[in-house]
Amino acid sequence: MSASVSTRPGGRPRPWIQPHLVLAALTIGLLLLFVLLPMAWMISTSFKSQVAAMQQPPRWIPEVPTFENYAKLLDPRGEGGRWFLRYLLNSFIVSTATTVLGTAVAVPAAYAFSRFRFPGRRLLFMTILVRNMFPAVVFLIPLFILMRTFGLVDRHASLIITYMTFGLPLAIWLLKGYYDNIPTELEEAALVDGATRFFAFVRVVMPLSVPGIVAAAIYVFIQAWNEYLYALTFLNSDELMTLPVGLQSYFSEFVTDWPGLMASSFVMSIPVVVLFMVLQRYFVRALTEGALKT
Amino acid sequence: MDHAGRGPAVRALPGRRGATKGRSRASEVAADYAYILPALAVLVFVVGYPIVYTLVLSFYETPPSLPGRFWTGLGNYRTILTSAEFFDVTLNTVYWALPSTILAFALGIPAALALNQGLPGQGILRGLLLIPWVISTVTAAYVWRWLYHADFGLVNGFLMQLGLISRPILFLDSPTLVIPALIVVNVWKTFPFVMVMTLAGLQTVPRELLEAAAIDGATAVRRFWHVTVPYLRNVLFVTFILLLISNLEHFTIPWLMTGGGPARASQIWSIDIYTIAFRSLQFGLASAYSTIVFAIVLVFAYLYVRALTKEDTVR
Repeated sequence: MSASVSTRPGGRPRPWIQPHLVLAALTIGLLLLFVLLPMAWMISTSFKSQVAAMQQPPRWIPEVPTFENYAKLLDPRGEGGRWFLRYLLNSFIVSTATTVLGTAVAVPAAYAFSRFRFPGRRLLFMTILVRNMFPAVVFLIPLFILMRTFGLVDRHASLIITYMTFGLPLAIWLLKGYYDNIPTELEEAALVDGATRFFAFVRVVMPLSVPGIVAAAIYVFIQAWNEYLYALTFLNSDELMTLPVGLQSYFSEFVTDWPGLMASSFVMSIPVVVLFMVLQRYFVRALTEGALKT
Repeated sequence: MDHAGRGPAVRALPGRRGATKGRSRASEVAADYAYILPALAVLVFVVGYPIVYTLVLSFYETPPSLPGRFWTGLGNYRTILTSAEFFDVTLNTVYWALPSTILAFALGIPAALALNQGLPGQGILRGLLLIPWVISTVTAAYVWRWLYHADFGLVNGFLMQLGLISRPILFLDSPTLVIPALIVVNVWKTFPFVMVMTLAGLQTVPRELLEAAAIDGATAVRRFWHVTVPYLRNVLFVTFILLLISNLEHFTIPWLMTGGGPARASQIWSIDIYTIAFRSLQFGLASAYSTIVFAIVLVFAYLYVRALTKEDTVR
């Protein structure tokens, strides 16, 4: 089935104003308000000075909009910017490494689960899916001790290894559904032509599954970019902090720099929101055509 | 999930054997495993080992002041299960997790149905509604903490401007309001997940069936209940269990907004375990605590696996 989410049901021509469309528009309008007002307030605050942010009644449009919060964040010579850019870089390093390694591990596994009939296949597949069921805190203590044993505490490697497992179950699930829907005839043709199985997988099947791989990769990236608890526990040095943990530096004993915090929260959200906006249809399609159809 | 009868798998094809002439069955299987080995290795290292380790450690006392650990049998379990604090924290956790999950469904399902009606610009609307799910929980927690701010927050400012209240409401400092206030944040963050899963589930409902029902004169409401809902049931169940479990083990929102306060009013399991482990440094006790939470979650995990392995997960 190649119907995408945006296809209109039915397909017959319809009059313009219909009660169910009005109801749908109303529902979405209200939910959009709920979703976007907090985001808008974050952005509005990020363009205010400390004093303006503490004005009551609150103003949506700052009287004197200021870029000073962003200038502070992005100036590598200033104290604030030095740290913020460091955290940003750390987040990019950790998330990118997780995405590359996680996808590299998930793709062949999903392919094997889809195509091969080795013993223990079902049990292993279930075990991987169940990974999501375990409370994160259950793993926190033993992993912390394990990482300490291997000397990985306060290293990015500890986070990359851990984050890989967060995305793996869903990535494998998504991709397996995708491979299930790719006809085997193409590989057979390659095999008959004398290609090895691995070659058929890499050169024939993988190119066809690019949308699925992209969807899985975005998911892994977003998970890694946003993670807080493990980063809080595994990292000690300021130089290594990722953004979610680094943001706590805006809270001090006496004053909280809310405009600065909102500006950095905004900057931190941009990569994942943009990434997702551009690629969301792959993600929803993979969910629809792959995972849920199996 | 089962592929028996879903069209021939590569392995079953005649002639494919010939393509790998000379290879024994054992080496075939070994080659198959090679594809999943990397994934498996990572999972054993990061999932399998920790579970065993937690279980073992839960039977030991690990005094923060002394090196080493001391066998205490079920002592840690007794300490936790007989404490009034654990009982309170469990109540908080349920009070936080269950309404969060139900409300996320109450918003997520109508959102998905509305998005499925063929409005212009659906893709963009869907993308915008997914924003809370995509951004970091940390961002969500800070933005809402700022919104709830007693003196300068938008929520209080707005309510006072409308004249609904004369003094600001201390949402995060009130023992009775703190959990409802946190639930709102959680629902904001998670309803898009329910929405996207429902939306994907809706695509699997066969169009012909809906049209046939319409031709037979079934009203929209009846079509929804008798055609759509049966198809969605399993997706919704799996989503519900997933979300409930993730809410039961949730950490970040209360941790960053209230730290479990005021006076432990929003202390939930994960925060309790984290505090015992990394503030009091009682790893043994915290491991027993984790194991208890794990056992509770396992019940739901079992239901999840059963739903997933059902032959007709979706259709």
